[in-house]
Amino acid sequence: MSMAEAIKTSRRALRRDGAGQVRNLVWLFLPLAALYGMFALLPLGMIVRFSMANGLENFRSVLASPLLLRAATNTLVISLTTTAVTLGLAMPVAAALWRSGPGLHRLIMAFVLLPFWTAVLIKNFAWAVLLQDNGVVNGLLQAAGLGPFTLLHNRLAVLIGMVHFVLPYAIFPIYTAMREIDPRIERAARSMGASTASVIWHVILPLIMPGIAAAALLVFIVSTGFFITPVILGAPSDMMISNLIDYYVHELTNFNNAAALALLVALLLAPVIVLQQRVARRGQYGVA
Amino acid sequence: MSPRAFSSEVDPGSRKENASRQRARAPFRSNRNGKGSNRSPRVSGHALLLIAAAPVLLFLLLPSLIIVPMALSKSQMIQFPPEWISLHSFSDYLGDRQWVDSTLLSFQVTITAVLIGAVTGGGAAIALHGRSFAGKGVLVGLIMMPIVIPVVVLALGDYLLFAQLRLLGGWVPIAIAHGVLATPYVFISAQTSLTSELNPALVRSARSLGARPCSVLYHVYWPAIRPGVLAGSMLGFAVSFDEVVLALFLQGASAVTLPVRTFSAIQYELTPKIAASASLFLALALVALALQALAARKTGRLS
Repeated sequence: MSMAEAIKTSRRALRRDGAGQVRNLVWLFLPLAALYGMFALLPLGMIVRFSMANGLENFRSVLASPLLLRAATNTLVISLTTTAVTLGLAMPVAAALWRSGPGLHRLIMAFVLLPFWTAVLIKNFAWAVLLQDNGVVNGLLQAAGLGPFTLLHNRLAVLIGMVHFVLPYAIFPIYTAMREIDPRIERAARSMGASTASVIWHVILPLIMPGIAAAALLVFIVSTGFFITPVILGAPSDMMISNLIDYYVHELTNFNNAAALALLVALLLAPVIVLQQRVARRGQYGVA
Repeated sequence: MSPRAFSSEVDPGSRKENASRQRARAPFRSNRNGKGSNRSPRVSGHALLLIAAAPVLLFLLLPSLIIVPMALSKSQMIQFPPEWISLHSFSDYLGDRQWVDSTLLSFQVTITAVLIGAVTGGGAAIALHGRSFAGKGVLVGLIMMPIVIPVVVLALGDYLLFAQLRLLGGWVPIAIAHGVLATPYVFISAQTSLTSELNPALVRSARSLGARPCSVLYHVYWPAIRPGVLAGSMLGFAVSFDEVVLALFLQGASAVTLPVRTFSAIQYELTPKIAASASLFLALALVALALQALAARKTGRLS
Protein backbone atom coordinates (compact mmCIF):
# COMPACT_ATOMS: atom_id res chain seq x y z
CA MET A 1 0.00 0.00 0.00
CA SER A 2 1.40 3.33 -0.99
CA MET A 3 1.58 6.23 1.41
CA ALA A 4 -1.15 8.12 -0.42
CA GLU A 5 -3.45 5.14 -0.25
CA ALA A 6 -2.77 4.67 3.45
CA ILE A 7 -3.64 8.28 4.13
CA LYS A 8 -6.77 7.97 2.09
CA THR A 9 -7.88 4.83 3.95
CA SER A 10 -7.23 6.30 7.35
CA ARG A 11 -9.08 9.49 6.38
CA ARG A 12 -12.02 7.41 5.28
CA ALA A 13 -11.89 5.48 8.52
CA LEU A 14 -11.81 8.71 10.50
CA ARG A 15 -14.75 10.09 8.57
CA ARG A 16 -16.71 6.89 9.07
CA ASP A 17 -15.87 7.06 12.71
CA GLY A 18 -17.06 10.64 12.89
CA ALA A 19 -20.29 9.75 11.18
CA GLY A 20 -20.72 6.83 13.56
CA GLN A 21 -20.19 9.15 16.47
CA VAL A 22 -22.81 11.52 15.14
CA ARG A 23 -25.24 8.68 14.60
CA ASN A 24 -24.64 7.47 18.15
CA LEU A 25 -25.63 10.76 19.71
CA VAL A 26 -28.51 11.65 17.44
CA TRP A 27 -30.91 10.12 19.96
CA LEU A 28 -30.18 13.13 22.16
CA PHE A 29 -32.42 15.09 19.81
CA LEU A 30 -35.40 12.90 20.70
CA PRO A 31 -36.47 14.63 23.94
CA LEU A 32 -36.72 17.95 22.11
CA ALA A 33 -38.54 16.37 19.19
CA ALA A 34 -41.03 14.73 21.55
CA LEU A 35 -41.57 17.88 23.60
CA TYR A 36 -42.06 20.11 20.56
CA GLY A 37 -44.16 17.57 18.73
CA MET A 38 -46.60 17.24 21.60
CA PHE A 39 -46.58 20.70 23.13
CA ALA A 40 -45.67 23.10 20.32
CA LEU A 41 -46.82 21.56 17.03
CA LEU A 42 -49.90 19.83 18.42
CA PRO A 43 -51.15 23.07 20.05
CA LEU A 44 -50.68 24.84 16.71
CA GLY A 45 -52.61 22.01 15.10
CA MET A 46 -55.40 22.57 17.65
CA ILE A 47 -55.50 26.23 16.67
CA VAL A 48 -55.79 25.33 12.99
CA ARG A 49 -58.52 22.79 13.77
CA PHE A 50 -60.58 25.16 15.92
CA SER A 51 -60.21 28.02 13.44
CA MET A 52 -61.48 25.88 10.57
CA ALA A 53 -64.27 24.21 12.53
CA ASN A 54 -66.93 26.16 10.62
CA GLY A 55 -65.14 26.43 7.31
CA LEU A 56 -63.95 29.98 6.85
CA GLU A 57 -66.84 31.48 8.78
CA ASN A 58 -64.71 32.30 11.87
CA PHE A 59 -62.14 34.15 9.79
CA ARG A 60 -64.93 36.16 8.19
CA SER A 61 -66.44 36.98 11.55
CA VAL A 62 -63.07 38.01 13.06
CA LEU A 63 -62.12 40.14 10.07
CA ALA A 64 -65.49 41.90 10.07
CA SER A 65 -65.20 42.88 13.73
CA PRO A 66 -64.52 46.58 14.41
CA LEU A 67 -62.48 45.44 17.42
CA LEU A 68 -59.97 43.81 15.08
CA LEU A 69 -59.38 47.02 13.15
CA ARG A 70 -58.75 48.87 16.41
CA ALA A 71 -56.44 46.19 17.88
CA ALA A 72 -54.52 45.71 14.63
CA THR A 73 -53.99 49.45 14.15
CA ASN A 74 -52.94 49.84 17.80
CA THR A 75 -50.50 46.93 17.50
CA LEU A 76 -48.91 48.26 14.32
CA VAL A 77 -48.65 51.89 15.48
CA ILE A 78 -47.44 51.04 18.99
CA SER A 79 -44.89 48.47 17.73
CA LEU A 80 -43.46 50.75 15.04
CA THR A 81 -43.21 53.69 17.46
CA THR A 82 -41.59 51.46 20.10
CA THR A 83 -39.07 50.18 17.54
CA ALA A 84 -38.09 53.66 16.35
CA VAL A 85 -37.76 55.16 19.84
CA THR A 86 -35.91 52.10 21.16
CA LEU A 87 -33.32 52.17 18.37
CA GLY A 88 -32.69 55.86 19.01
CA LEU A 89 -32.16 55.26 22.73
CA ALA A 90 -30.17 52.03 22.32
CA MET A 91 -27.49 53.52 20.03
CA PRO A 92 -25.78 55.83 22.58
CA VAL A 93 -25.89 53.10 25.26
CA ALA A 94 -24.40 50.48 22.93
CA ALA A 95 -21.72 52.95 21.83
CA ALA A 96 -20.94 53.88 25.45
CA LEU A 97 -20.59 50.18 26.30
CA TRP A 98 -18.28 49.72 23.35
CA ARG A 99 -16.07 52.73 24.02
CA SER A 100 -15.75 52.52 27.81
CA GLY A 101 -12.93 50.98 29.81
CA PRO A 102 -13.56 47.82 31.87
CA GLY A 103 -14.82 49.56 35.04
CA LEU A 104 -17.33 51.84 33.33
CA HIS A 105 -18.28 49.04 30.96
CA ARG A 106 -19.27 46.81 33.88
CA LEU A 107 -21.29 49.61 35.48
CA ILE A 108 -23.25 50.35 32.27
CA MET A 109 -23.77 46.63 31.71
CA ALA A 110 -25.27 46.33 35.21
CA PHE A 111 -27.67 49.21 34.43
CA VAL A 112 -28.83 47.35 31.32
CA LEU A 113 -28.92 43.86 32.82
CA LEU A 114 -30.83 44.63 36.02
CA PRO A 115 -34.05 45.57 34.17
CA PHE A 116 -33.35 42.71 31.74
CA TRP A 117 -33.55 40.21 34.62
CA THR A 118 -36.52 41.92 36.32
CA ALA A 119 -40.02 40.55 35.64
CA VAL A 120 -42.01 42.55 33.08
CA LEU A 121 -44.93 42.56 35.49
CA ILE A 122 -42.88 44.28 38.16
CA LYS A 123 -41.39 46.83 35.77
CA ASN A 124 -44.87 47.74 34.53
CA PHE A 125 -46.19 47.95 38.09
CA ALA A 126 -43.33 50.26 39.08
CA TRP A 127 -44.10 52.48 36.07
CA ALA A 128 -47.77 52.60 37.09
CA VAL A 129 -46.74 53.83 40.54
CA LEU A 130 -44.26 56.32 39.07
CA LEU A 131 -46.73 57.71 36.54
CA GLN A 132 -49.89 57.87 38.67
CA ASP A 133 -51.52 61.26 39.32
CA ASN A 134 -49.72 61.81 42.66
CA GLY A 135 -46.66 59.80 41.62
CA VAL A 136 -42.98 60.70 41.48
CA VAL A 137 -42.97 61.95 37.90
CA ASN A 138 -45.86 64.32 38.50
CA GLY A 139 -44.23 65.45 41.75
CA LEU A 140 -41.07 66.37 39.87
CA LEU A 141 -43.05 68.13 37.14
CA GLN A 142 -44.98 70.11 39.74
CA ALA A 143 -41.77 71.10 41.47
CA ALA A 144 -40.73 72.52 38.11
CA GLY A 145 -44.03 74.40 37.94
CA LEU A 146 -45.71 72.07 35.43
CA GLY A 147 -48.67 69.74 35.50
CA PRO A 148 -50.07 67.71 37.07
CA PHE A 149 -50.66 65.64 33.96
CA THR A 150 -52.58 62.43 33.45
CA LEU A 151 -49.67 60.13 32.63
CA LEU A 152 -51.20 56.75 33.42
CA HIS A 153 -53.71 54.66 31.45
CA ASN A 154 -52.93 56.20 28.09
CA ARG A 155 -50.86 55.50 24.99
CA LEU A 156 -47.79 57.33 26.32
CA ALA A 157 -47.63 55.10 29.40
CA VAL A 158 -47.85 51.98 27.20
CA LEU A 159 -44.99 53.26 25.05
CA ILE A 160 -42.85 54.07 28.11
CA GLY A 161 -43.42 50.60 29.57
CA MET A 162 -42.71 48.86 26.25
CA VAL A 163 -39.60 50.84 25.33
CA HIS A 164 -38.28 50.18 28.82
CA PHE A 165 -38.84 46.44 28.37
CA VAL A 166 -37.33 46.06 24.89
CA LEU A 167 -34.30 48.38 25.28
CA PRO A 168 -31.89 45.58 26.31
CA TYR A 169 -33.09 43.52 23.31
CA ALA A 170 -31.90 46.35 21.06
CA ILE A 171 -28.73 47.25 22.96
CA PHE A 172 -27.17 43.76 22.87
CA PRO A 173 -27.25 43.08 19.09
CA ILE A 174 -26.02 46.61 18.28
CA TYR A 175 -23.26 46.40 20.89
CA THR A 176 -22.22 42.96 19.58
CA ALA A 177 -21.98 44.36 16.04
CA MET A 178 -19.87 47.28 17.29
CA ARG A 179 -17.53 45.02 19.24
CA GLU A 180 -16.83 42.96 16.14
CA ILE A 181 -15.51 45.95 14.19
CA ASP A 182 -11.80 45.58 13.54
CA PRO A 183 -10.23 48.63 15.28
CA ARG A 184 -7.65 48.83 12.49
CA ILE A 185 -10.33 49.90 10.03
CA GLU A 186 -11.18 52.93 12.11
CA ARG A 187 -7.52 53.72 12.73
CA ALA A 188 -6.88 53.53 9.00
CA ALA A 189 -9.75 55.90 8.26
CA ARG A 190 -8.51 58.37 10.87
CA SER A 191 -4.91 58.21 9.73
CA MET A 192 -6.13 59.16 6.28
CA GLY A 193 -7.76 62.24 7.70
CA ALA A 194 -11.39 61.27 8.18
CA SER A 195 -13.24 63.39 10.76
CA THR A 196 -15.13 61.74 13.62
CA ALA A 197 -18.45 62.40 11.88
CA SER A 198 -17.23 60.86 8.68
CA VAL A 199 -15.79 57.83 10.53
CA ILE A 200 -19.18 57.28 12.18
CA TRP A 201 -21.16 57.81 8.99
CA HIS A 202 -18.93 56.08 6.42
CA VAL A 203 -17.15 53.41 8.47
CA ILE A 204 -18.98 52.45 11.67
CA LEU A 205 -22.60 52.80 10.58
CA PRO A 206 -22.30 50.53 7.51
CA LEU A 207 -20.46 47.93 9.60
CA ILE A 208 -23.08 47.80 12.37
CA MET A 209 -26.04 47.93 9.96
CA PRO A 210 -26.70 44.15 10.26
CA GLY A 211 -26.79 44.52 14.05
CA ILE A 212 -29.19 47.46 13.82
CA ALA A 213 -31.44 45.57 11.39
CA ALA A 214 -31.45 42.51 13.67
CA ALA A 215 -32.25 44.69 16.68
CA ALA A 216 -35.07 46.51 14.86
CA LEU A 217 -36.72 43.30 13.68
CA LEU A 218 -36.36 41.63 17.10
CA VAL A 219 -37.83 44.65 18.89
CA PHE A 220 -40.72 44.81 16.41
CA ILE A 221 -41.49 41.09 16.81
CA VAL A 222 -41.35 41.27 20.61
CA SER A 223 -43.50 44.43 20.60
CA THR A 224 -46.30 42.90 18.55
CA GLY A 225 -46.73 40.17 21.19
CA PHE A 226 -47.23 42.46 24.19
CA PHE A 227 -50.07 41.47 26.49
CA ILE A 228 -49.52 42.70 30.04
CA THR A 229 -48.30 46.23 29.42
CA PRO A 230 -51.44 47.50 27.60
CA VAL A 231 -53.56 46.10 30.46
CA ILE A 232 -51.55 47.65 33.30
CA LEU A 233 -50.43 50.93 31.75
CA GLY A 234 -52.93 51.56 28.94
CA ALA A 235 -56.56 52.54 28.57
CA PRO A 236 -59.07 49.93 27.32
CA SER A 237 -58.82 51.61 23.91
CA ASP A 238 -55.09 50.75 23.78
CA MET A 239 -55.98 47.04 23.44
CA MET A 240 -53.42 45.17 21.33
CA ILE A 241 -53.88 42.03 19.25
CA SER A 242 -52.88 39.64 22.09
CA ASN A 243 -55.50 41.26 24.33
CA LEU A 244 -58.13 40.73 21.65
CA ILE A 245 -57.32 37.00 21.51
CA ASP A 246 -57.60 36.92 25.31
CA TYR A 247 -60.92 38.80 25.06
CA TYR A 248 -62.32 36.19 22.67
CA VAL A 249 -61.24 33.40 25.04
CA HIS A 250 -62.05 34.77 28.49
CA GLU A 251 -64.89 37.25 27.86
CA LEU A 252 -66.73 35.83 24.87
CA THR A 253 -65.57 32.19 25.29
CA ASN A 254 -65.52 31.99 21.50
CA PHE A 255 -62.59 29.63 20.98
CA ASN A 256 -63.12 29.33 17.22
CA ASN A 257 -62.79 33.07 16.66
CA ALA A 258 -59.83 33.21 19.05
CA ALA A 259 -58.12 30.42 17.10
CA ALA A 260 -58.85 32.10 13.75
CA LEU A 261 -57.34 35.36 15.00
CA ALA A 262 -54.29 33.59 16.48
CA LEU A 263 -53.71 31.81 13.17
CA LEU A 264 -53.91 35.09 11.25
CA VAL A 265 -51.42 36.72 13.63
CA ALA A 266 -49.00 33.79 13.35
CA LEU A 267 -49.20 33.78 9.54
CA LEU A 268 -48.72 37.56 9.26
CA LEU A 269 -45.76 37.53 11.63
CA ALA A 270 -44.06 34.45 10.12
CA PRO A 271 -42.26 36.34 7.29
CA VAL A 272 -40.94 38.95 9.73
CA ILE A 273 -39.64 36.18 12.00
CA VAL A 274 -37.95 34.42 9.07
CA LEU A 275 -36.35 37.70 8.00
CA GLN A 276 -35.14 38.37 11.55
CA GLN A 277 -33.51 34.94 11.82
CA ARG A 278 -31.73 35.46 8.51
CA VAL A 279 -30.44 38.90 9.42
CA ALA A 280 -29.43 38.12 12.99
CA ARG A 281 -26.17 36.46 13.77
CA ARG A 282 -24.62 36.36 17.20
CA GLY A 283 -26.37 38.06 20.11
CA GLN A 284 -29.69 37.82 18.38
CA TYR A 285 -31.64 36.41 21.31
CA GLY A 286 -30.68 38.89 23.98
CA VAL A 287 -27.65 37.91 26.04
CA ALA A 288 -27.38 34.29 25.01
CA MET B 1 -33.35 44.35 -1.08
CA SER B 2 -32.73 40.68 -0.38
CA PRO B 3 -32.23 39.86 3.30
CA ARG B 4 -28.81 38.41 2.58
CA ALA B 5 -27.56 41.77 1.44
CA PHE B 6 -27.56 42.78 5.10
CA SER B 7 -25.36 40.10 6.50
CA SER B 8 -22.73 39.23 3.97
CA GLU B 9 -22.58 41.55 1.02
CA VAL B 10 -22.81 44.98 2.56
CA ASP B 11 -19.83 44.82 4.88
CA PRO B 12 -16.87 44.13 2.62
CA GLY B 13 -18.25 46.30 -0.16
CA SER B 14 -18.74 49.37 1.98
CA ARG B 15 -15.45 48.81 3.71
CA LYS B 16 -13.62 48.85 0.39
CA GLU B 17 -15.56 51.86 -0.81
CA ASN B 18 -14.78 53.81 2.33
CA ALA B 19 -11.13 52.95 2.20
CA SER B 20 -10.82 54.34 -1.29
CA ARG B 21 -12.81 57.43 -0.39
CA GLN B 22 -10.52 58.15 2.55
CA ARG B 23 -7.44 57.56 0.45
CA ALA B 24 -8.58 60.12 -2.08
CA ARG B 25 -8.93 62.75 0.62
CA ALA B 26 -5.83 61.95 2.53
CA PRO B 27 -3.32 64.24 0.86
CA PHE B 28 -5.34 67.31 1.68
CA ARG B 29 -5.75 66.48 5.31
CA SER B 30 -2.34 65.23 6.28
CA ASN B 31 -1.73 68.35 8.36
CA ARG B 32 -4.55 67.33 10.70
CA ASN B 33 -2.75 64.22 11.82
CA GLY B 34 -0.23 65.96 14.02
CA LYS B 35 0.52 64.36 17.36
CA GLY B 36 -1.95 65.03 20.16
CA SER B 37 -4.73 66.19 17.89
CA ASN B 38 -6.10 62.65 17.86
CA ARG B 39 -6.39 62.33 21.58
CA SER B 40 -8.44 65.27 22.78
CA PRO B 41 -11.36 64.87 20.35
CA ARG B 42 -11.64 61.19 21.27
CA VAL B 43 -11.82 61.95 24.99
CA SER B 44 -14.50 64.59 24.51
CA GLY B 45 -16.30 62.22 22.13
CA HIS B 46 -16.39 59.64 24.89
CA ALA B 47 -17.72 62.22 27.34
CA LEU B 48 -20.41 63.19 24.85
CA LEU B 49 -21.38 59.53 24.49
CA LEU B 50 -21.69 59.14 28.25
CA ILE B 51 -23.78 62.32 28.45
CA ALA B 52 -26.09 60.94 25.76
CA ALA B 53 -26.28 57.50 27.41
CA ALA B 54 -26.78 58.70 31.01
CA PRO B 55 -30.49 59.68 30.75
CA VAL B 56 -31.26 56.35 29.04
CA LEU B 57 -29.44 54.46 31.80
CA LEU B 58 -31.37 56.40 34.45
CA PHE B 59 -34.60 55.56 32.61
CA LEU B 60 -33.59 51.87 32.68
CA LEU B 61 -32.84 51.86 36.40
CA LEU B 62 -35.68 54.08 37.68
CA PRO B 63 -38.40 51.40 38.16
CA SER B 64 -36.04 49.09 40.06
CA LEU B 65 -35.14 51.92 42.42
CA ILE B 66 -38.66 52.49 43.76
CA ILE B 67 -39.71 48.87 44.35
CA VAL B 68 -38.05 48.25 47.71
CA PRO B 69 -38.96 51.63 49.28
CA MET B 70 -42.54 50.98 48.14
CA ALA B 71 -42.61 47.64 49.91
CA LEU B 72 -41.36 49.31 53.10
CA SER B 73 -44.22 51.80 53.06
CA LYS B 74 -46.44 51.87 56.16
CA SER B 75 -49.66 53.00 54.53
CA GLN B 76 -52.24 50.57 53.20
CA MET B 77 -52.20 52.24 49.81
CA ILE B 78 -49.31 51.79 47.47
CA GLN B 79 -47.40 54.98 47.16
CA PHE B 80 -44.00 56.45 46.64
CA PRO B 81 -42.26 58.03 48.48
CA PRO B 82 -43.42 55.92 51.44
CA GLU B 83 -44.78 57.69 54.51
CA TRP B 84 -43.07 55.56 57.06
CA ILE B 85 -40.82 52.55 57.10
CA SER B 86 -42.64 49.37 57.99
CA LEU B 87 -42.47 45.69 57.26
CA HIS B 88 -46.21 45.14 57.30
CA SER B 89 -46.45 44.53 53.55
CA PHE B 90 -44.07 41.60 54.02
CA SER B 91 -45.94 40.24 57.05
CA ASP B 92 -49.20 40.65 55.11
CA TYR B 93 -47.70 38.70 52.25
CA LEU B 94 -46.30 35.92 54.42
CA GLY B 95 -49.52 35.74 56.44
CA ASP B 96 -51.68 35.14 53.38
CA ARG B 97 -51.96 31.43 52.64
CA GLN B 98 -52.87 32.05 48.98
CA TRP B 99 -49.84 34.21 48.26
CA VAL B 100 -47.47 31.81 49.99
CA ASP B 101 -48.97 28.86 48.09
CA SER B 102 -48.62 30.71 44.80
CA THR B 103 -44.98 31.49 45.57
CA LEU B 104 -44.18 27.85 46.32
CA LEU B 105 -46.12 26.74 43.26
CA SER B 106 -44.14 29.14 41.10
CA PHE B 107 -40.86 27.64 42.29
CA GLN B 108 -42.20 24.13 41.64
CA VAL B 109 -43.34 25.04 38.11
CA THR B 110 -40.13 26.89 37.29
CA ILE B 111 -37.74 24.21 38.52
CA THR B 112 -39.62 21.55 36.55
CA ALA B 113 -39.63 23.75 33.45
CA VAL B 114 -35.89 24.42 33.72
CA LEU B 115 -35.16 20.69 34.06
CA ILE B 116 -37.25 19.99 30.94
CA GLY B 117 -35.48 22.80 29.07
CA ALA B 118 -32.00 21.70 30.16
CA VAL B 119 -32.49 18.08 29.03
CA THR B 120 -34.17 18.89 25.70
CA GLY B 121 -32.15 22.00 24.81
CA GLY B 122 -28.79 20.59 25.93
CA GLY B 123 -29.45 17.24 24.24
CA ALA B 124 -30.41 18.87 20.96
CA ALA B 125 -27.30 21.07 21.04
CA ILE B 126 -25.09 17.97 21.40
CA ALA B 127 -27.02 16.07 18.71
CA LEU B 128 -26.52 18.91 16.23
CA HIS B 129 -22.91 19.69 17.21
CA GLY B 130 -20.44 19.36 14.35
CA ARG B 131 -23.12 18.37 11.88
CA SER B 132 -23.85 20.34 8.79
CA PHE B 133 -26.75 19.39 6.58
CA ALA B 134 -29.24 21.05 4.32
CA GLY B 135 -31.99 22.62 6.38
CA LYS B 136 -30.01 22.94 9.61
CA GLY B 137 -30.74 26.67 9.63
CA VAL B 138 -34.44 25.96 9.28
CA LEU B 139 -34.29 23.39 12.07
CA VAL B 140 -32.56 25.84 14.41
CA GLY B 141 -35.18 28.42 13.46
CA LEU B 142 -37.92 25.94 14.41
CA ILE B 143 -36.22 25.25 17.75
CA MET B 144 -36.23 28.99 18.47
CA MET B 145 -39.88 29.33 17.46
CA PRO B 146 -41.48 29.24 20.93
CA ILE B 147 -39.75 32.46 21.97
CA VAL B 148 -40.40 34.43 18.80
CA ILE B 149 -44.07 33.73 18.11
CA PRO B 150 -46.44 35.77 20.28
CA VAL B 151 -46.80 33.87 23.53
CA VAL B 152 -50.59 34.26 23.45
CA VAL B 153 -50.72 32.04 20.34
CA LEU B 154 -48.88 29.28 22.20
CA ALA B 155 -51.05 29.89 25.27
CA LEU B 156 -54.27 29.47 23.28
CA GLY B 157 -52.96 26.32 21.57
CA ASP B 158 -51.88 24.79 24.89
CA TYR B 159 -55.20 25.72 26.45
CA LEU B 160 -57.15 24.01 23.66
CA LEU B 161 -54.87 20.94 23.82
CA PHE B 162 -54.90 20.48 27.59
CA ALA B 163 -58.65 21.08 27.69
CA GLN B 164 -59.05 18.31 25.12
CA LEU B 165 -56.82 16.02 27.21
CA ARG B 166 -58.80 17.01 30.36
CA LEU B 167 -55.57 17.98 32.12
CA LEU B 168 -56.38 21.61 32.86
CA GLY B 169 -56.39 22.82 36.44
CA GLY B 170 -53.14 21.42 37.79
CA TRP B 171 -49.61 22.77 37.77
CA VAL B 172 -48.22 20.19 35.31
CA PRO B 173 -49.55 21.85 32.10
CA ILE B 174 -48.01 25.17 33.18
CA ALA B 175 -44.65 23.49 33.88
CA ILE B 176 -44.69 21.75 30.47
CA ALA B 177 -45.64 24.94 28.63
CA HIS B 178 -42.86 26.79 30.44
CA GLY B 179 -40.48 23.94 29.60
CA VAL B 180 -41.18 24.58 25.91
CA LEU B 181 -40.39 28.25 26.52
CA ALA B 182 -37.14 27.49 28.40
CA THR B 183 -35.82 25.02 25.79
CA PRO B 184 -34.72 27.56 23.12
CA TYR B 185 -32.75 29.57 25.69
CA VAL B 186 -30.82 26.49 26.88
CA PHE B 187 -30.36 25.26 23.31
CA ILE B 188 -28.95 28.51 21.95
CA SER B 189 -26.50 29.10 24.80
CA ALA B 190 -25.47 25.44 24.89
CA GLN B 191 -24.85 25.60 21.16
CA THR B 192 -22.81 28.79 21.53
CA SER B 193 -20.68 27.27 24.26
CA LEU B 194 -20.14 24.00 22.32
CA THR B 195 -19.14 25.90 19.18
CA SER B 196 -16.56 27.98 21.02
CA GLU B 197 -15.24 25.30 23.41
CA LEU B 198 -15.29 22.03 21.52
CA ASN B 199 -13.73 21.16 18.19
CA PRO B 200 -15.69 18.27 16.62
CA ALA B 201 -12.31 16.69 15.78
CA LEU B 202 -11.78 16.24 19.52
CA VAL B 203 -14.89 14.09 19.70
CA ARG B 204 -13.66 12.04 16.75
CA SER B 205 -10.28 11.50 18.33
CA ALA B 206 -11.83 10.50 21.65
CA ARG B 207 -13.93 7.97 19.74
CA SER B 208 -11.04 6.66 17.68
CA LEU B 209 -9.05 6.19 20.87
CA GLY B 210 -11.79 3.87 22.05
CA ALA B 211 -14.00 6.01 24.30
CA ARG B 212 -17.56 4.76 24.66
CA PRO B 213 -20.45 7.13 23.87
CA CYS B 214 -21.21 7.52 27.57
CA SER B 215 -17.70 8.50 28.48
CA VAL B 216 -17.52 10.82 25.46
CA LEU B 217 -20.66 12.50 26.76
CA TYR B 218 -19.29 12.80 30.28
CA HIS B 219 -15.63 13.61 29.64
CA VAL B 220 -15.77 15.50 26.34
CA TYR B 221 -19.18 17.09 25.91
CA TRP B 222 -20.16 17.86 29.50
CA PRO B 223 -17.20 20.15 30.40
CA ALA B 224 -17.70 22.04 27.15
CA ILE B 225 -21.45 22.38 27.38
CA ARG B 226 -21.81 23.04 31.11
CA PRO B 227 -21.40 26.85 31.07
CA GLY B 228 -23.91 27.15 28.24
CA VAL B 229 -26.46 24.89 29.90
CA LEU B 230 -26.09 26.81 33.18
CA ALA B 231 -26.44 30.21 31.51
CA GLY B 232 -29.41 29.02 29.46
CA SER B 233 -31.05 27.46 32.51
CA MET B 234 -30.71 30.75 34.35
CA LEU B 235 -32.45 32.56 31.50
CA GLY B 236 -35.07 29.84 31.41
CA PHE B 237 -35.59 30.20 35.16
CA ALA B 238 -36.13 33.94 34.84
CA VAL B 239 -38.47 33.55 31.86
CA SER B 240 -40.58 30.86 33.53
CA PHE B 241 -40.69 32.48 36.96
CA ASP B 242 -41.82 35.81 35.46
CA GLU B 243 -44.22 34.41 32.87
CA VAL B 244 -47.84 35.56 33.04
CA VAL B 245 -49.68 34.75 29.79
CA LEU B 246 -49.24 30.95 29.60
CA ALA B 247 -49.85 30.64 33.35
CA LEU B 248 -52.97 32.81 33.03
CA PHE B 249 -54.46 30.66 30.27
CA LEU B 250 -53.58 27.36 31.96
CA GLN B 251 -54.38 28.33 35.57
CA GLY B 252 -56.70 26.33 37.78
CA ALA B 253 -58.22 26.83 41.22
CA SER B 254 -55.16 25.25 42.85
CA ALA B 255 -52.68 26.35 40.18
CA VAL B 256 -52.26 30.11 40.33
CA THR B 257 -48.62 31.13 39.96
CA LEU B 258 -47.20 34.15 41.77
CA PRO B 259 -47.08 36.32 38.61
CA VAL B 260 -50.73 35.52 37.81
CA ARG B 261 -51.79 36.36 41.38
CA THR B 262 -49.75 39.57 41.27
CA PHE B 263 -51.21 40.48 37.87
CA SER B 264 -54.79 40.05 39.11
CA ALA B 265 -54.00 42.02 42.24
CA ILE B 266 -52.54 44.88 40.20
CA GLN B 267 -55.71 44.97 38.10
CA TYR B 268 -58.31 44.63 40.83
CA GLU B 269 -57.18 45.29 44.39
CA LEU B 270 -53.79 47.07 44.58
CA THR B 271 -52.62 45.73 47.97
CA PRO B 272 -49.19 46.27 49.54
CA LYS B 273 -48.64 42.53 49.04
CA ILE B 274 -47.88 43.40 45.43
CA ALA B 275 -44.92 45.50 46.51
CA ALA B 276 -43.72 42.66 48.75
CA SER B 277 -43.88 40.16 45.89
CA ALA B 278 -42.24 42.74 43.62
CA SER B 279 -39.33 42.83 46.06
CA LEU B 280 -39.01 39.05 45.74
CA PHE B 281 -38.86 39.37 41.94
CA LEU B 282 -36.29 42.14 42.24
CA ALA B 283 -34.20 40.04 44.65
CA LEU B 284 -34.21 37.19 42.12
CA ALA B 285 -33.12 39.61 39.39
CA LEU B 286 -30.22 40.75 41.60
CA VAL B 287 -29.21 37.13 42.24
CA ALA B 288 -29.24 36.48 38.49
CA LEU B 289 -27.15 39.59 37.89
CA ALA B 290 -24.63 38.53 40.54
CA LEU B 291 -24.39 34.98 39.15
CA GLN B 292 -23.85 36.39 35.67
CA ALA B 293 -21.11 38.71 36.91
CA LEU B 294 -19.48 35.75 38.69
CA ALA B 295 -19.59 33.64 35.53
CA ALA B 296 -18.21 36.57 33.56
CA ARG B 297 -15.30 36.91 35.95
CA LYS B 298 -14.55 33.22 35.49
CA THR B 299 -14.58 33.33 31.70
CA GLY B 300 -13.22 36.87 31.56
CA ARG B 301 -16.06 38.45 29.65
CA LEU B 302 -19.54 39.85 30.28
CA SER B 303 -22.61 38.61 28.41
